[in-house]
Formats: sequence, structure tokens, C-alpha cells
Amino acid sequence: MTPEDFERLQALLASRAGYRLSRERMQLAEHRLGPVARREGYHNVEAMLASLWSRPVASLGWGVIEALLNGETWFRRDRATFEVLERELLPALTAARGGPVRIWSAGAGSGQEAYSLAIAALEAGARVEVLATDLSRQAIEKALSGLYSSFEIQRGLSARTMLRWFEQVDDQWRALPELRAAITFKRANLLDEPRDEGRFDIIFCRHVLGDMTPERRPRLLDGLERRLVDDGCLFLGMDERPDGDSIAFRPVAGRRGLYVKSPSAYRRAA
Amino acid sequence: MSPVDPKTCLIVDDSRIIRKVARRILEDLAFEVQEAADGAEALEVCVGAMPDVVLLDWQMPIMDGMTFLGRLRALPDGRDPKVLFCSVETRADRIAEALSAGADEYVMKPFDGDILQSKLAEVGAIQSPS
Repeated sequence: MTPEDFERLQALLASRAGYRLSRERMQLAEHRLGPVARREGYHNVEAMLASLWSRPVASLGWGVIEALLNGETWFRRDRATFEVLERELLPALTAARGGPVRIWSAGAGSGQEAYSLAIAALEAGARVEVLATDLSRQAIEKALSGLYSSFEIQRGLSARTMLRWFEQVDDQWRALPELRAAITFKRANLLDEPRDEGRFDIIFCRHVLGDMTPERRPRLLDGLERRLVDDGCLFLGMDERPDGDSIAFRPVAGRRGLYVKSPSAYRRAA
Repeated sequence: MSPVDPKTCLIVDDSRIIRKVARRILEDLAFEVQEAADGAEALEVCVGAMPDVVLLDWQMPIMDGMTFLGRLRALPDGRDPKVLFCSVETRADRIAEALSAGADEYVMKPFDGDILQSKLAEVGAIQSPS
């Protein structure tokens, strides 16, 4: 891959996904694109990119983008976050709402976060509706299948939880139907305008903001804000925060990564 | 015991390679590590000084993991260590059997540092990884 190829990849990722492909990821990019080139019938990565630059095909473009996103995730990532959800938010929201608590796993990757949320809720006896979306079609297909290798299933899940909520299928583990039924999986771009009126009580959007270009971050945050009810909760990664002096989200003291949406009326007055 | 004393972990496995791999991971997590090649050897170590954590293989010569676990739990203070079974046995019913025999966690081989770290956090032997 030439430096020019990499610069064009950076531009492609930034414009379509708002993703910041840093220069030190050049080797990793080359490594990840190898299988894409083979799958698409190209001799090598250079040939595939040459073709993409000369005659952009949407499906190939997205295949390339998906391969370069940072899809790493695991069960109950940032354990403290799940403890806040289980001990504080789910009991309070269940009592207050009288209906199912609506949670959005935004940037769900291969689904471990969404399954962790659903398990937490089911074990707490709380009714939830979980929507899980990701930009990567491959990741969402895996999430929907609910199938995980023994490496994946063991990362973050206790053996008891694994046995309770997953069944063994050959050398893999598949989420039980009652668990899968709690979650809707969809491919979606967080930069797109929300197309429906769905509003959520809680949004998990962790380890997405940190990988975004500064120009695209306001658009992501705006989309999250519009999908969250007033006083709704937004979980970011432990080390992530909304930009600048955002008055849309207030940090919660002592709960790293947790933000509460300011009521709309208050924001208009301010 | 002062709060700066490192936690101790006993690795029980008849494979020298597995012991070596596990030792490296555990030492990176600031554990003080001891090794035993079978259940009988491990029991001797535990009688001398009870470790905080035992990483326990199932199939071993002389005394297997299941027998060791039963004997350990019968010792004075033998319920104190957190026991993580660590075996190539990956069938759900066998995992359930190990848990009901008194293991605190179960690790399917092969494993890596991320998995071991998350299992140790699960039993409260280390702070959770973020």
C-alpha cells in the first residue's frame, strides 16, 4: 500500500464513518485488507484499492471501511458501568416507567455489550427492550447469530452466566432464544439522521467517540441527544467525555463515563 | 498481613508449558506464583501456606483436579482460596460439574491474558480490568 493509498483510506473513513484512522495503523490496515481483497477476487490489496479509487463501488467501499473499524469488544466491558446499571438505574427506571426500559447499544460491534445489558436486565427481573446498532454489517450479523468462540465467551463472562444464558453448539456458544428475543439488531450509521421517533431511557455509546474525527463528534453527540429522553442516561467509555462545554449532557459525580441529558426546556432557556 | 503483600497463586498443571504461560500472566498481574505438577504436590503446598488463588488443571497424574479440590475444601481454611478450574474439558455438563464441586470459576483452555484477567476479576482476586 502506498502512502497515497493510506491517505485516501483516511479520507474515506473520515467522510463516511467519522472514523479517525491514525497513521500508526497503516500496517494493521494492510493486514486487515488482505482478506477483503481475496474475498472480492483481487490479486492483492493494491489492486483492490486501485480499482476502488478509479471506479468507486459502494459495496466494496463499505467492505473496506468495515475491515478498518476498531471492532474490539468484550462482555461486561468496564464492569463498574454494569454495576451502576444493575444496582441503580434498572431498579429506579423500572419503578418509574411501569413499562419496559428502552436501551440503545450504539456502536454495538459484535454484540457483547447488548447481550451483557440484556443479561443484567433479565437477571434483575427488569423488562427491557434493547436496540443494538453498528456500522459494520459483518459485526451486526455476528451479533444477530449470537454465536461466540470459547475465547470470546470467556472474556468478561463468568462460567455460571455463560452456562445460564448460552448453549453449546459444537465448539461455540450461542445465546439462548429468550436472551436473543430481548434485543433487536440493526445496521446503522451513527452519523445518519435518525429516521424514526424511537427514544431511549439509556444509551450506551462507549469507545466510539474516542475514535472519531473532531469534526464529526458534534454530529454524533447531537444524534445521541435527540434519541435520548429528558433526564435519560448516556454511558460513554470510562475515559471519554462530550466535547467542550456541552450543556446537553451533565456528568454524574462519582460515576465515571455516565452523563445525564439536561431537559430540553432548560437548555432552551440557557 | 499488610496491604502491600502480593496475592499468591498456586498453579497446578502437569504441563510445564502451561505453568510457564500462566506464570507469566499472573506475575504481570502482580501475583506471587508457586507451581505444582499434580494434586498431591499442590495439597502439600496448601497445607504449608494457603494461597489466595489456585489455578487448577483437571486431568493430572497421581491426583487429579477434582480429587484435589475435594481434599482442599476439607482442610482447615481450605474454603478460603479462590479456585479457578482450567481445563481442555469444554463440555457444558462437565463445567457445571466442576462448579458444583466447589470451584469458583472455570477457564476453558486455551486461554490468554485477557481471559485470565477477567476471570480473576470475576472472583474478586483482582480489580476489574477497565
